[in-house]
Amino acid sequence: MTDYTIKHQTRRGKQLTRRGFLAGSTAVATGLTVPLFAQDARTPVFTSKVDLVVLSFTVTDNKGKYVNGLKHTDFRILEDGIKEKISTFSEGNRPAMQILDDGTLKPVVPADAEAISTAKGSDALVGTNVFVLFDTSNFMYKGFVYAEDAIADFVRGLDKADSVAVYTFSRNLSRAASLTHDRTDAIYGLRKAVAGDDTALYNGLLLTLRDAAKVPGRKVVIVFSNGPDNASMVAPDDVRAVAEDEGIPIYVISTNDADKDPISTSVFRRIATQTGGKAYWAKTWQKQVEAFESIREDLGNSYTVTYYPAPNQNEGFRKIEIQIAGDTAKRYRVRARPGYRPRAY
Amino acid sequence: MNLRVMAFALCFASGLVASEATDRAHGLEEAGNSAAAREAWLGAVRAAPQDASVLGGHAEFLERFKDNGARDAWRAASAALKSAGRAPEAAAALRRAVLLDLIAGDQAAARKDTQDYQALGGSAIQLPASVTVPEKRETIQIPGPLRSFARMAALSPDVRPEDLMPALARNVVLNGYQTSHGADGLEETEFLKLIHRYLSQARELEQLAGAEKVIRVTACESAITADLLRVLGFRMRGGCGAEVVLETVNAPRAFITTDSGFPVAELEQALRTNKPFTYDYHPSVAAVVYGQDYWVSVKEKKEGGFIDAFLGDPGLCRFYLGLTKLDPETADALRRGSTTVKLRAYANVLDFFGGNFEIRDGKAVLPGGARSAAIWADLAGVSPDKGAEFFERLMSRDDGWLASLYDALARIQGPVQEYLTDPVRMKRLYSAVRGRITTPGPARPVFRSNAEMMLLTTRLQLDPDGRAHIPGGLEVWKDLFQRNPRGKYDAKLSKAAASWKDSDDVVEALFALCRKPVDNEPLSIFMTLTDIDRSRPQPLRPETVQRLVRAWHIYGAQFATFNDVPSVSDRTIVAWLDQAENIDKIRDPLFRQDVIGTMQGLTGIWQIFSRQGSVPADKADETLFALIGPFAAMKSERELFDAGRAGLAKLLAVTGAQGATIQEKMLGLLAGGPRIDDTAARAELMLQEQHIFEAQKLLNPDLLFELADNLEAVTKGEKLNAQLAARLASRVADIQLPRNSMTGIEKNAMAFGYYVDKHVQDERKVNLRALIDRAAKDPDKLKDIRGRLAPTLRDTLVGYSYVHYAPAGAQILMTNPLFVRGHDFLGMQGGNHSWQTTQMFGNGWPSNAGGRLVGSLAGLPYALAESEQNFLIPAQTQALIWGDLVPQMMIAARTPRFWTVTTAQMHWVGTHMRLGESLVAEAALDPVRRVELTRAVNRVASPNRAAMVMSAVAAAQVSDAISLLTPSELYLIASAASAGTGAADPHSREIAHLRALLPEQTSTAAISHAWGTPKPTLANSYRAELLNLKTFPTLMGYSSRIMAESWESNLLYWADVADQAGIQPAQLNLLVPEWTQKVVERIFASHLEDWPALLRSLRSVGEELHDQNARAAAGAEKAAGRE
Repeated sequence: MTDYTIKHQTRRGKQLTRRGFLAGSTAVATGLTVPLFAQDARTPVFTSKVDLVVLSFTVTDNKGKYVNGLKHTDFRILEDGIKEKISTFSEGNRPAMQILDDGTLKPVVPADAEAISTAKGSDALVGTNVFVLFDTSNFMYKGFVYAEDAIADFVRGLDKADSVAVYTFSRNLSRAASLTHDRTDAIYGLRKAVAGDDTALYNGLLLTLRDAAKVPGRKVVIVFSNGPDNASMVAPDDVRAVAEDEGIPIYVISTNDADKDPISTSVFRRIATQTGGKAYWAKTWQKQVEAFESIREDLGNSYTVTYYPAPNQNEGFRKIEIQIAGDTAKRYRVRARPGYRPRAY
Repeated sequence: MNLRVMAFALCFASGLVASEATDRAHGLEEAGNSAAAREAWLGAVRAAPQDASVLGGHAEFLERFKDNGARDAWRAASAALKSAGRAPEAAAALRRAVLLDLIAGDQAAARKDTQDYQALGGSAIQLPASVTVPEKRETIQIPGPLRSFARMAALSPDVRPEDLMPALARNVVLNGYQTSHGADGLEETEFLKLIHRYLSQARELEQLAGAEKVIRVTACESAITADLLRVLGFRMRGGCGAEVVLETVNAPRAFITTDSGFPVAELEQALRTNKPFTYDYHPSVAAVVYGQDYWVSVKEKKEGGFIDAFLGDPGLCRFYLGLTKLDPETADALRRGSTTVKLRAYANVLDFFGGNFEIRDGKAVLPGGARSAAIWADLAGVSPDKGAEFFERLMSRDDGWLASLYDALARIQGPVQEYLTDPVRMKRLYSAVRGRITTPGPARPVFRSNAEMMLLTTRLQLDPDGRAHIPGGLEVWKDLFQRNPRGKYDAKLSKAAASWKDSDDVVEALFALCRKPVDNEPLSIFMTLTDIDRSRPQPLRPETVQRLVRAWHIYGAQFATFNDVPSVSDRTIVAWLDQAENIDKIRDPLFRQDVIGTMQGLTGIWQIFSRQGSVPADKADETLFALIGPFAAMKSERELFDAGRAGLAKLLAVTGAQGATIQEKMLGLLAGGPRIDDTAARAELMLQEQHIFEAQKLLNPDLLFELADNLEAVTKGEKLNAQLAARLASRVADIQLPRNSMTGIEKNAMAFGYYVDKHVQDERKVNLRALIDRAAKDPDKLKDIRGRLAPTLRDTLVGYSYVHYAPAGAQILMTNPLFVRGHDFLGMQGGNHSWQTTQMFGNGWPSNAGGRLVGSLAGLPYALAESEQNFLIPAQTQALIWGDLVPQMMIAARTPRFWTVTTAQMHWVGTHMRLGESLVAEAALDPVRRVELTRAVNRVASPNRAAMVMSAVAAAQVSDAISLLTPSELYLIASAASAGTGAADPHSREIAHLRALLPEQTSTAAISHAWGTPKPTLANSYRAELLNLKTFPTLMGYSSRIMAESWESNLLYWADVADQAGIQPAQLNLLVPEWTQKVVERIFASHLEDWPALLRSLRSVGEELHDQNARAAAGAEKAAGRE
């Protein structure tokens, strides 16, 4: 085995230790390594790695109303048909509970808070880390100030447990406000936004997802844009794949009419649904406020489970299925990301 | 005793013997371990705290490494010497402290140390008694704070007051006006309209701020609240108290409020908490050179003030911009000698070419000096002795052509300038470039249109006989101009070519073609071939040049490959052209793109390995010849696979790389340097490479070749290795189809990419078991099966170049798994993209499969950097990534590797920087040295900047003067100074010491190789070198690319930073891209030629690293003290 292979695995080992701890020191908190392809003894070994899977989802009834109060025992998580053992469970913004071997619940209490919160302003265990991505390109010029007002209202109305970051983009991304619990800081950052030029929406979204992926716990990205992109180098579906793999739902609020720009409409719809988020078309300020309200509701009514995947040879896309036990389940609809790809390194 | 110790001993303590500890410290320093040397010096000082020799040695050591403690160390050494009754030497030690005080910008300390120095009897320092007040300039007030105005006017908030108006003028000229719809005139752009709206709002706010210029809201319910909110365009939702929210009521006003950065959120918070809100609303102050009256009439001033008149007149802005590019003496002379109306009429010429005008003592300074005075007088029609009149005529004579010639010649020095300014020759050249019809002149467009002339004068090569080098000889060029198969370039020149007799005729023709604003093909050919010949031991043979000239149109972009490796023979170049032409005859586009990709992939790897020395120079030619040989008559995918495999094997064999697998050897070699070592830096780089390789889902060559061997065995009756086949199937299944869903419009607009999709689809279809079954034991068919792996091998070979050049972060390569596979070697049908330079295509199309690279691999490093640049995140909200400059900075950080660079070469640069700083400080203290420095600065900087530097020096503002010089200028100034012998200062001695000790490592060529940058446009090569040019402006057709390539400061600066911090060169392979990214993210430029903004950013990162290092050293020192 070569020298750099050893270094690589050592580094990975450290990551796993930390991530295992993040999951609340559960007994099953071990990562899974799957060789990408069989190698002989002399060949450098590069492995795919599966960390803790964070899965957020909502359950609605046949009238579209959120179903609350379900227990962890009501759910069965299947990955490629393989049943997974749930490590932690939480509903809405309530604290995550660790599921012990005997099925009882115990609040996840970090022994070392510093190790848990690797990102400033983030809380791995409670609430949602909300990343707002605000399009400040010249396409948004006309509605710029109203958009700011709507986002500011949304930030103010977030649950206390949530953290929020405000990013803006035109040709480049700008981290206007880093992840924080302080709403005033977030709004200060938002109000410092400046109108830009070209629109590189998917570049900006990718970078936001990369930042969000570094934060432990539940996170979502909310895109506020009117749709057109004239500068991105990455394709929407490649960005969507990153969100899917990282388990980050994308909510999109388009400030355009759905029928105005069919390309953006279909892309937004695809990105949102396949990551477990939602897309809204809200041309007016009022509709934008309503869209934000809907997202807030979604965040407050979702379930989050974490698990370490059982051994699985599949190195490609792994399909996730969430089943609800009991007869009433047939009337319920689960909205979640359809699956993910394990990392190749 | 080494030279360094000896020198110090001579200087300070002739009778003293250096202690064992100091000897050890010197030894460690020489071995490149400055951190341990620092420890050793500390030990020596602790052991002998009163030993002047030790203290002086310690001070010199600290000064060499720009340690903050150097000044104290010199003072300590001085005190020890004084105690020992050696007053003159004590004064000399204090003199160094004074120099360092000035370099640090610590005027108080400089005065105190000067007094102490004089108390010791020193008399060689003449520090000005008080700081000289710079020339007082009239200022204007612009309503509202500077940061707000800067945001609205797209200016850097760091802009100096004296630079504000020129920067604003440039933005107004470039972005403020557009052609009016349905009218002849110009109309304001949205950019300028917003500035006017901002000024209007700012004036209203200024009134609310009152006489004390502070906006105060004492309480939510105060009277001013409503007025303020009205002006801002907001209103309160909810009553005063915790529920209050500010929301937009007047969108245009609210937009200006937000866009200008008014603290709305802070105001809202104050209203919510019912706390007072105060906001300093003092106006911005901007210096107006020559006073307002020079620029605008009294009437204009009365109507709306200077700023309104300025913004409303693009001609005035251009004039202001042009005049502020001149150095003060020249500008004053011009203003006195001409009228405003006349000068303003040629503002565009002044703007583009005035920066190099120079009037001294009333006379024009001329390129070519006295020898050319008569011809300049003849051409301008006025004697250069009448400086102002001369330049006025220079501008007005022919709409700027003569001024552009002056500018191009004034930028260069040495033999080429002498050659071009030969009176007879210069007259011919001017006549050629001027032509019969002079309008439109070169200063009419937005960018200078005769960019090529500047390139030609800068890069022209002279033969030993002093005449211009003509690649291939005269006949080749006569033939090109007379019989160009693609049509004549210029009827008159084609006719004249028949009677050409010498090289001057060719140069004259090239000058004549510089009139063409774009697509100057002969000049591009000439420059490329000149660059190839420049570094070759023997110039290319005429028949080879003839062939290259004829092939230029299709294959020209590939010639840089031959420039990268000077040992390539004529035979190999011709063979390469033969193969390329043969490949182009392949009819099947799918097969052709695979053949092109494989050949370019192999050539690209060879180019990398040869450039970095892993393919030895004496083997490079035969290796390339062997690589391309099989491509002569490629007929099947099987042959292609075998050629790819054989090529890779040949490359690895010639490098002698050690490693368990092909993949390991390849990644090790691609990490850089001639040999694979086992450093942590290389392991980290290899890991990064492997991540990209995996993200692109490329197939490891070991697997491919093992499979091919197994398939060969199958032809002999053996069974297919099921495990290998399964591995392939698993990898193939992992390849995705391009995720695009283009509309009809988009498909029609793009019109290509079909064969890329087909390529990926075919790779996915490979099913070995089915193919074997289909072959039905036919040996030939079975052998052909390995040909199905050829497209995959092509991707792997191409992918290696991507991996090597991948910019830091590599967001696209890590996100789009088809980026390498999607490389489009065919491009648009009939477009001949296959051999042209790499281009980015398809960005900003949400429904395609992401941007992709099209064309050959010739410009891959730049294209990768270009496509990655917008993933960088500016540190400041409204800053944007500086297109063209940033990709060049990225490749300059990524392409050169530092495996063969030595600590001595880092120290060589660091010591030159110290010497440069020291020379500037010396000049502040000594009028004789000031004259020398003036000469040196004039050689490297524009007259205006040189004047600014020397003005700061005269005022003893040494740190300001240094901050105006770029690292490469400082290095050049020091190089020129240290070239002489016998200088007594510690840095010159250190340089002499290094030169004597390590002549090969410190030669000009070695330093150029170690710290140079690739210049694909300027020098037609990705080979790293220092050209030591003055920085270029933006040029039409090249935008900022050449300008960016002329910036050579970054690596020299990083060498200095690394030397100070004791960083090993190998680590620079990781750190330089990281540091460069930080620099890019911190640049806040006001315009495309805002070098000071880049310099500020560079120094901010360097100073941060310096501070980190100082803190670490202090911590270590403290810890050592505790022990």
